[in-house]
Amino acid sequence: MDSTFKVLEKIIRAASIRQRVIASNIANADTPGYKAKDVKFSDFLKDQMNMMVTNPRHMKGYNNTGPEAEIVIKSTASWGDKNNVELSVEIAKMTENQLLHDAAIKILSTRIRMFRNAITSRGGR
Amino acid sequence: MDIFKVSASALEAQRVRMNTIASNMANAQTTKTENGGPYVRKDVVFETVKIKNNPDSILEGVRVVQVVEDKRSPIMIYDPSHPDADENGYVAMPNINVIEEMVNMMMALRAYEANVKAFNISKSMYQKALELGR
Repeated sequence: MDSTFKVLEKIIRAASIRQRVIASNIANADTPGYKAKDVKFSDFLKDQMNMMVTNPRHMKGYNNTGPEAEIVIKSTASWGDKNNVELSVEIAKMTENQLLHDAAIKILSTRIRMFRNAITSRGGR
Repeated sequence: MDIFKVSASALEAQRVRMNTIASNMANAQTTKTENGGPYVRKDVVFETVKIKNNPDSILEGVRVVQVVEDKRSPIMIYDPSHPDADENGYVAMPNINVIEEMVNMMMALRAYEANVKAFNISKSMYQKALELGR
């Protein structure tokens, strides 16, 4: 199997974690003292992308043995209630995250279909 | 699937807040209560609650931890004909600003809508994942 499966799985898992974090932020948009959180995503995905080596002479990506996704607490300015959740920003992030998740699912589905075709199709057809 | 509990807890909390605001607006002119005196404005206090009682859980829901009474003193209005007027002709009216309540209500509504959206997006993501390989 090629490494695409693994990478896509990681992306889907990361998007799922980020969705949980954003849902928690939105739920606590009015909770005094709550600090918005986010998942360090770009670095995380970059690590995953590094793993895609198509040629042994290419630079090898380091194995990601650390946490799957790093959760960071945002320290942006807040209102008087020490809550720094911005609802519109969270909604935008959630929509973006959904698109990434769905795109990864779509690519994974296509991959699976390709493999299935390769297995089931017979010569001459 | 606990992600749905996060959004559901927020919907419930915002609904309690909406109920409190509705009570405040309904009783903006109430001068008699069970405890005596005019109606006192109420407000909700939210608290973060971990879903699954797991300290490492990234899922953080919300709940109404208590309903507090507003400390503002009642407004004294001169109306000697009112049955609740004191010897000087002043009536203690609830210190409720209807505009303030409307603003709070709109904030609760927006928060509610945002949580419904979060719920629906989570649902659609799960549905997409279920269609994997089709």
